[in-house]
Amino acid sequence: MRTRSRHGWRRVVNLVNLGALVLVVATALPLYWLVAGSLKPATEVGATPPSPWPADVTVANYVDAFTSVGFGRYIANSVVVASVSTVVVVGLATFAGYALARTPMRGRGPLMIALLMISVYPAIAVVIPLYLVERQLGLLNSHAGLIIPYIAFNLPFAIWIMRNYMLAVPRGLEDAASIDGASPTRTVLTVILPQVRPGLFTAGVFTFTATWTEFLMALTFNSQDAYRTVPVGIALYGTTFEVPYGTIFAAAVSVTAPIAILVLVFRRFVVAGLTAGAVKG
Amino acid sequence: MRTTAGEALVPPQRRSPEGMPAGRGGAPDRRDAMQRRMARIGWGYTSPSLLVIGLVTLFPIVFSLVLSFARVRITYDGFAVEALTLGNYVALLGSGDWYYALGFTVLYTVVTVAIELVLGTLAALVLERLGAGRGWIMALLLIPWSMITVVSAQLWAYIYNSTYGVATWVFESLFGTAPLILGRPVSAIAGMMVADIWKTTPFVAIIVLAGLVMLPQDVYEAADVDGAGPWTTFWRVTLPQLRSTIAVAILFRILQAFGVFDLPFVLTGGGPGIATQSLAVMGYKTLFQDLNIGPGAAIAASTGLLVAGACLLFLRAFKAQVGKEDVT
Repeated sequence: MRTRSRHGWRRVVNLVNLGALVLVVATALPLYWLVAGSLKPATEVGATPPSPWPADVTVANYVDAFTSVGFGRYIANSVVVASVSTVVVVGLATFAGYALARTPMRGRGPLMIALLMISVYPAIAVVIPLYLVERQLGLLNSHAGLIIPYIAFNLPFAIWIMRNYMLAVPRGLEDAASIDGASPTRTVLTVILPQVRPGLFTAGVFTFTATWTEFLMALTFNSQDAYRTVPVGIALYGTTFEVPYGTIFAAAVSVTAPIAILVLVFRRFVVAGLTAGAVKG
Repeated sequence: MRTTAGEALVPPQRRSPEGMPAGRGGAPDRRDAMQRRMARIGWGYTSPSLLVIGLVTLFPIVFSLVLSFARVRITYDGFAVEALTLGNYVALLGSGDWYYALGFTVLYTVVTVAIELVLGTLAALVLERLGAGRGWIMALLLIPWSMITVVSAQLWAYIYNSTYGVATWVFESLFGTAPLILGRPVSAIAGMMVADIWKTTPFVAIIVLAGLVMLPQDVYEAADVDGAGPWTTFWRVTLPQLRSTIAVAILFRILQAFGVFDLPFVLTGGGPGIATQSLAVMGYKTLFQDLNIGPGAAIAASTGLLVAGACLLFLRAFKAQVGKEDVT
């Protein structure tokens, strides 16, 4: 390892610790400002000079967000859309990822490239045709109207993740199962699946985060208040003349905290997912 | 199910007892049959996904290309395609706003990705050497990444607010004047970039860190023995080995940044004027606010094609540089 012996103050005050401090402060300060703003009464939110911490801590913004504004409904919509999409995506991606990693299908290479390109294709390029089709099918302003495109556009990346995890599973396991007479589907479900549990989490966390934060399609397809998701609710709340930041931040903290906890708990898998395909092995 | 039927076709004794891949020592035709069967199962497993992806993504992609060549008339209950024309693209190429949006999107992409790459690599180097607290700092870094972009856009709009924003206050106390951060083109662009850099640098840092941790240590010992200083070691040993990791980070960031929509839409609305109007924001406004479906589809479809083209070029360059096995 490249650790050099350090003495006295240099053990604590050095470039590395200084850099870490800068990193933490730069990341945390805006987050602190969000939380502080959510706890301030309206007059303090708009105070000049800004008050460094809430002088008069209140939960009025949180009450407001969930009673008069109806963020609860937006959260419910987001939870339904994101969780259904995630479950379907992970389920489909498991089998597709297995097939692409382990079976001698022709054209796997081009298929993987095509999937990669679809996963980065900008949403703006598809919203108008999808909008027209959904209007024709009566899918606008419904949960299915978001779930269907979310599944399709998040599947490709999830397949990539699952395939990369499948590649790391030792071959011998499947062969042993096959000798015991297990069908391929049973082999995948009982032998392979337990081996790629981290992959399931990674694909799940990724899909959930992507669908939870998606804005453009949600804005275009589900503009009616009853079907708005959290990002749309937060973006459209307020008027041109007055933006009630306290309430917005209370809603923002309420929706960021669960995801932050989810990411903290599964951080190992998130980090692994971020590097899926980047690093071999 | 086809799989249970398939099971009966290949009895277990056709496989060698050591659990080797089937047919390795057997007759070639038997091995081919096995291969074909596995390929069939593969397509069986993949087809539900491909069906969904094909119907819901490929169809709109093609449809948007067709629309971009269409002269569309808005009717009472929808719209009608009147004729196929190149007019939408001709209009696009004659529109100063489109060139501006393209230029702005490219500038935004290049500047943010470059800064995020440098800061992210520095952050990763710091985190790699940090003993205690690394896990917690990584967890903290993941919060901006997992945040809804609309939320962070609202947060930065509040920070930049011209009367009570904390950034405005900082400038006022330092220089005595209060700039309209989101009211002037240059500062609005810079402000938007800062918001993006804050949210996305952690993503780059974590990717680079994962690459750093996996580097073999013996090379460093060799460099140490050869008397290379930390600076030389970084440029000559660390960076070249990180190439494929960094390339993937760049690819994802460039392609995401090029489609940027949420941040300008909420933070600035594309303003002041059209100063922060990205291609996606311009496409959205043309499609859904001006209801100009043909030209809007041309903006949207050309953005998609630019991303797809860049992705292909990048993959080719990447393949040539680091070898095929890293890509597929």
